[in-house]
Amino acid sequence: MGQTIVYREWLHRNLNTIVPISGLLLLITLLRIANPFFLASWDSAITLIYGMSFFLIAACGLTLVILMGSFDFSVPSVLKLSAMIFAVLYPSIGFLSIPSALGVALVFGYVNGLLLAKFGIPSFMATLATSMVAEGLAQIISGGYTRMITDPAFRAISTTMIFGLPAIFYWSVVLWLVAVLITMVTPFGRAIYAIGGNLVGANLAGINVSRVRILVFMICALFAGLAGIFYASQIQGAHMQVGVLDTIPLFASVVVGGTALTGGVGGVHRTLLGVLIIRWLDSGLSMLAIDLNIRMIIFGVIAIVMAILTIDRRRIKIMK
Amino acid sequence: MKGEFEKSTVVTTVALAWRLIRINPALWTIFSLIVLFSVIVPEKFLSASNLVAILKSFAVTAMLSVGPTFVILMGSIDVSYMGVWMFGGALVWLLYPYLGLASILVYPVFGLLVGLVNGYIHVKAKIPSFILTIAVTAVFAFLTTYVRNVSGVLTLTVPAYNFLRESPIPYLPSPFLLALPTIALAIFFMFFTKVGTYLCAIGSNEEGASLAGINVRKYKILAFMISGFLTGLGSIAIFVHLGNQTRVDFDPSELIRGLAAIVLGGTPLAGGMGGPHRTLMGALVYVLIFNGLFLLPGVDPNHLKLYIGTLLLAAVVVASKALKGALIA
Amino acid sequence: MGSSQEILVEAKNITKTFDTVVRALDGVSIEVRKREILSVVGENGAGKSTLMKILVGIHPPDSGELYYMGERIPFPKNPLDALKRGISIVYQERGVIPHLKVYQFLFLGLEDKFTKLGRLQLEKIIGTAKSVFDELGIKCDLGSYLYELPLSTQKMVEIARAILSIRLATGEGREGEVTPLIILDEPTAPLSIEERDELFEYLLNLKKENSFIFVSHIIPEVMKFSDRIYVLRDGKVVAHHDVAAEKVTEEELFREIVGRESYYDLLERYGYGQEQLQERPTILSVRNLTKKGYYTDISFDIREGECVGLFGPAGCGKSEIAKTLYGVLTFDKGKIIMDGHELRAKGGPYSRIRRGLGYFSGETGKELFLYWSIRKNVSIINFEKVVRKHLGVVPVISLRLEKSLAEKIVKKLRIRAPSVDTECYSLSGGNKQKVSVGKWLEKSPKVLILEDPTIGIDVGAREDIYEVLLEMKKNGVSMLLVSDDPKEYAILCDKILMLKDGVVQRVCSNKEFRSLMGL
Repeated sequence: MGQTIVYREWLHRNLNTIVPISGLLLLITLLRIANPFFLASWDSAITLIYGMSFFLIAACGLTLVILMGSFDFSVPSVLKLSAMIFAVLYPSIGFLSIPSALGVALVFGYVNGLLLAKFGIPSFMATLATSMVAEGLAQIISGGYTRMITDPAFRAISTTMIFGLPAIFYWSVVLWLVAVLITMVTPFGRAIYAIGGNLVGANLAGINVSRVRILVFMICALFAGLAGIFYASQIQGAHMQVGVLDTIPLFASVVVGGTALTGGVGGVHRTLLGVLIIRWLDSGLSMLAIDLNIRMIIFGVIAIVMAILTIDRRRIKIMK
Repeated sequence: MKGEFEKSTVVTTVALAWRLIRINPALWTIFSLIVLFSVIVPEKFLSASNLVAILKSFAVTAMLSVGPTFVILMGSIDVSYMGVWMFGGALVWLLYPYLGLASILVYPVFGLLVGLVNGYIHVKAKIPSFILTIAVTAVFAFLTTYVRNVSGVLTLTVPAYNFLRESPIPYLPSPFLLALPTIALAIFFMFFTKVGTYLCAIGSNEEGASLAGINVRKYKILAFMISGFLTGLGSIAIFVHLGNQTRVDFDPSELIRGLAAIVLGGTPLAGGMGGPHRTLMGALVYVLIFNGLFLLPGVDPNHLKLYIGTLLLAAVVVASKALKGALIA
Repeated sequence: MGSSQEILVEAKNITKTFDTVVRALDGVSIEVRKREILSVVGENGAGKSTLMKILVGIHPPDSGELYYMGERIPFPKNPLDALKRGISIVYQERGVIPHLKVYQFLFLGLEDKFTKLGRLQLEKIIGTAKSVFDELGIKCDLGSYLYELPLSTQKMVEIARAILSIRLATGEGREGEVTPLIILDEPTAPLSIEERDELFEYLLNLKKENSFIFVSHIIPEVMKFSDRIYVLRDGKVVAHHDVAAEKVTEEELFREIVGRESYYDLLERYGYGQEQLQERPTILSVRNLTKKGYYTDISFDIREGECVGLFGPAGCGKSEIAKTLYGVLTFDKGKIIMDGHELRAKGGPYSRIRRGLGYFSGETGKELFLYWSIRKNVSIINFEKVVRKHLGVVPVISLRLEKSLAEKIVKKLRIRAPSVDTECYSLSGGNKQKVSVGKWLEKSPKVLILEDPTIGIDVGAREDIYEVLLEMKKNGVSMLLVSDDPKEYAILCDKILMLKDGVVQRVCSNKEFRSLMGL
């Protein structure tokens, strides 16, 4: 009897680890059965890596914000804006366009954080508004046209092959590791978890809540900006459709990894799992010729179901 | 005695007027916007065709925001209106061959169902309502696009409803007339039933409402259902406005339109105050700003998104500042 | 006298046990007469609110009997059931819904009788509200929002609502038959002195038709307005006074509430506060501190190793002052000087900690991260002890240092936990509190602010916490205490500021305080 309770307790507490890992194994098996060419060649693996790398960078940033109990809708828009600035300015100022793009991204992160920390506006509302501003700016600086850059140096940032893998793979792994280390071993990471877990307590424990919030939103925007730059380099330019279809998969991969929407539970290390699942699923489904819209619906449903599973209901009294 | 009475009446009236202005900043915003644009671009702004256009887009904005106001009133957020509007239209189109003209009634029924599901999941699974409803909206939006793609047509139009497009009253466009029942119902729910009071109570102090014997969970679900139903009913006006068809591609700026109208009207995101009457004013503010803006020389309609984002940003900042005192008290 | 002696409700031998034995009721019997104000007084955790919750049907009792006008009835199963018996409760502060209009709040949840085909009959509602307000003598605009009204009027509206809901539940036309019994749970806590008097005048007026149970721990007002008083301590009725028939002094009542025996036990072990601190340097000085609506012109000094207490009834501004010092609340006027540095009004706790302030509250779950391990909870304020700089700039938390720090504290405080990696929510109340206070042990702040440090925990854990605090004090840590328990002041404090309505009434030494309180 007691054994069962212990077992159940363990199962409940580790649900957000068990579900993604078993989901991933199941997924790989199913995709392999459905399509014998899945992951059968090195080329298909490289294609998958291209699809995952920039995505992982953006998802890491978003995870930090969600861990803190907030939300950031502006990630895809900032990603697009940064890619656009990089591509538009590259012909005139060369690689100086990278710091300008990242600078603009940081400004967006700062504004998002400021709206939450100083004005007390719920982050989803604030970031929804700033995402529209970012979209508008991207539209204005590009004039709505696709910008192609044929300069090989521009492309080299992401596509240089090192030990048989593209550079963007290494970039994303390094950035992921940086984010993991920030959350796992630094006081700053502890502060993120503290704010997500018990806001009042974090304030009483002497954490500068406003500053951490602003910094986390800036880091998130910086990651989104970097993802935009690597993506622009990968596709040799930028266009208005960049990032448009990323909102739901990004959100899905964070919660599928096991990070709870309420904050304080989960981690960036888990997001890697979520990204693997979502992108593998995406490519598997598209190989099976399933309509893009249907894939988005599947991700939306997965996101809701996983959000329900990961939220720790013991600690919520009133949910808005 | 009599003089005293008169004096106190005057004082009360002035106090009432002041209170009205203080708590309804939307009122004087509307007034100043009308004056502003009438002075700068009188011939364009005050033309009959422009006024009709204002009425039309007011109807559309109001129909996207009146329903969700009930959910925001109780402190949650419902942005599933985009999904109800888009996919509801696709259902009307799909079912028209079977139901005939009655298929337009699918709209409110579908809205009610979506509201029920949203409310149930939100209350039982305790998912933050904003995230939940935005995911629901996305699902239905993509489903609508999918329906369009699969059926191989360009738009999901039902020409049989063309008779709805002609207004029996000159200068009052039919989308505006079709919006009136929804507005009337919203006002009825808010002021003439206990539901409005209960939702206010939940938004203001959920624990207190529960102590007063209100079944909070039930009324939370009901709020989502009212929201879905009113949006469904109101979507008929938008459907007709767009030429008896629904939108088939998801545009986030339409999503913001509804939220912006609610916030501009003065229903705080934390809930407890405001209501559909405020949202109607907010919708008018929103419509006037954009109508007037694009009449001004040198304003590029291509930059619409930038303006919308900035406006929403300004609105939430101002709203959060203005309402702080009231919420602390 | 005559009819006023008639017994309305009688509860006999009520017993109730929860998981923790502390708050249980042990054979409590009380009777409420018609048309009287009956006070139930006692410390926090004496069982007052449990008793009330049983009377209105929120908790079922383990055993006991209930009589209504002499006739035995079952205990109410829920608040609605209690309403039908004519019993209603007005909650301390959570009951008011600030953004409703007065008439909306008055009829909240009672609209069904005023609805026709789903449509509210507003005229009828407002008409009834008017007549009820006239009858009960409340003067306010029915259309104004509750948050616009003074707190005392809000309370009156709540009481009116309670009476109205009893009338509606027992059926109209039976006003004469049923005497409503209204339980007021610490109604005066948020009110100012004038507002309290206003409320009591109002209650005395209503007494002609209704009975009240008045739950409180503010002795002067209990003495002034009640007909009879029950004193509860540790789940038992320890005294019963008929104010009209016998003479009771405030001191007597106080001693009964506090209970001398247990107090002397603690004192014997720890001794009284010291008074020879005049030569020590001043650490923290507060000058003319003012926050509108909460406290005015507060000035005091805390010397090294000194403990200053802020004592007064709930709502006197003491906990607001404590929170202001720690930066949780801001202030309007005045100065806080710590070690020669002036603290900013908008500094926030992070800047206060840097200057050497600490804060510990006994309210569980407030400052503790319940779903974190003990280890993490300890290190959240002790980063400088567990962080190592890598490559000269990257701060990295060392798991080893974290563990040894937490183990040290667990050992010292005798916290009962399998390991330092145990999550705090699985600990008992006393052990949770020990983790909360223990994390400050190694931080050794210059001034530690204590808010209700031992609220809701058993005697053993209490003593452990006092021991730790006294040891910190001996090592030169200054303290500021805010609590509801006078014994705590007697044990910990060297100097006590008596507050009333946000103003310091007098400053007394530990000795004076004890003689004042009869301890």
